[in-house]
Amino acid sequence: MTTMRAFGLGVLASVLAVGCAAAQGKKWETVRIATEGAYAPWNFTTPSGKLDGFEVELANDLCGRMKVKCEVVAQDWDGIIPSLNAGKYDAIMAGMNITEKRLEVLNFSQPYAATPHGFAVMKDSPLANLPGTGTAISIDKDPEAAKKAIEAWKPLLKGKTVGVQVSTVNATFVEKYLKDTVEIREYKTTEQHDLDLVAGRLDAIFAGQGALTATIDKPEFKNVTLAGTGVRGDVLGRGVAVGLRKADTELKTLFDQAISAAVADGTVKKLSEKWFKIDAAPQS
Amino acid sequence: MQQLSYFELMGFGPNGWGPALLRATAMTLAVALCGFIAGALIGTLVAWAKLSRSLVARGIADGYTTILRGVPDLLVIYLFYFGGSAALGAVAGLFGYDGFIGVPAFVVGSLAIGVVSGAYQAEVFRGAYQTLSRGELEAAKSVGMHRWLMFRRIIAPQVLRYAIPGLGNVWQLVLKESALISVTGLVELLRQSQVGAGSTRRPFDFFITAAVLYLVITWISTVLFQKAEDRSMRGVRRAA
Repeated sequence: MTTMRAFGLGVLASVLAVGCAAAQGKKWETVRIATEGAYAPWNFTTPSGKLDGFEVELANDLCGRMKVKCEVVAQDWDGIIPSLNAGKYDAIMAGMNITEKRLEVLNFSQPYAATPHGFAVMKDSPLANLPGTGTAISIDKDPEAAKKAIEAWKPLLKGKTVGVQVSTVNATFVEKYLKDTVEIREYKTTEQHDLDLVAGRLDAIFAGQGALTATIDKPEFKNVTLAGTGVRGDVLGRGVAVGLRKADTELKTLFDQAISAAVADGTVKKLSEKWFKIDAAPQS
Repeated sequence: MQQLSYFELMGFGPNGWGPALLRATAMTLAVALCGFIAGALIGTLVAWAKLSRSLVARGIADGYTTILRGVPDLLVIYLFYFGGSAALGAVAGLFGYDGFIGVPAFVVGSLAIGVVSGAYQAEVFRGAYQTLSRGELEAAKSVGMHRWLMFRRIIAPQVLRYAIPGLGNVWQLVLKESALISVTGLVELLRQSQVGAGSTRRPFDFFITAAVLYLVITWISTVLFQKAEDRSMRGVRRAA
């Protein structure tokens, strides 16, 4: 009995040892990247079933830089993190923001996109004149300028009603900086506050400018426009990054290097301007 | 961006999602049918165990139907999908293979639907069996029928007759449960419409089309089950 147990432990130990050695010496030749395939313009599917969008193009670019073969696969959002940890694929590029909660179960590369957040209003509203439209500012990098930009909004925003999606970074931001100036109304989805803006129940909505631009592109929302300075940093988070298993540290290094290079040579800027019509490259 | 009309969007032209949606509908039907058939096999065995004289068999079968009808279907699907891959991976790991072994989403989906619907079907079969008249079973035994012959000639036809309405019910549950399989990434009707809705930002058009397609399947199945019921009941007088 004892010998059997010892033998069992020995087998287990050697399996573990072999497993660890394999994990450490792993050479990445093929990287399987999961995306949702249903989140235009970040990633989406064409009627013929092909994946396309900002992240699909960026993934192919990054893989070229990492000198690996890439396979981009579609995965439902609900199972996207467990499937990564189960090993179904090696990375996630699906418009996923770095958050503390997610950092508990997976690792992130450095961000490859950080769309500024800002207001959208009706074109004929007085709020369309909010100062700073078309510019973006980082609260982390330039807190003084950001503070000034936010103060500059306040006279126009005083007493207006602003819609945000509940429990998002946008809600946190408005709560933190504009609580005493505006009336905040929370919505379950972004579609709902988009519709209420057009219906006139809201004076403005505050959301990621990538999502806002996609909304404005739809004919029903053609009278909506972005207004005011775009902001990023602080409670608005660190940006969108590649999700990776905690064990795959070499893969993280590979992605980090490739992303740095793609940001530095303007590829991310070019791709984001193509898909979002704004520069969504992360600012250092 | 030019706006496609509803019919262009759902049609069969270059920008139409028609072929994709039809393929997805076929996938929904296929996974639901496989699950239903697997469930019928499981259900028969479990019903048999429930009706047996063995305390152990009855206990296991009772446990099975209680648990599988009590836990959310989604949980069973996750268990099979992620648990299945992890278990296979662990076994393969013993032989020195450290890659990922995927369980095909279709197999996982059919099995998950099978074990859940099996629990419901077991109850349907048990209920139907109990309507059989004792006299017929005793008569069959007294003319020397073996258990298998008795099952084939006396039990199965009559149990099925009374089980059809209940089975129709289970089938509709299975059909809707198949939508949950979309979490595994299997491109069935719901997943395909989510993908279409997200890709074109036209959620209403896609979800309404999916709803109509589900309703068409349900409607056709209702008609078929009604026909089967009528046929099985010919020669049986019912209380008016």
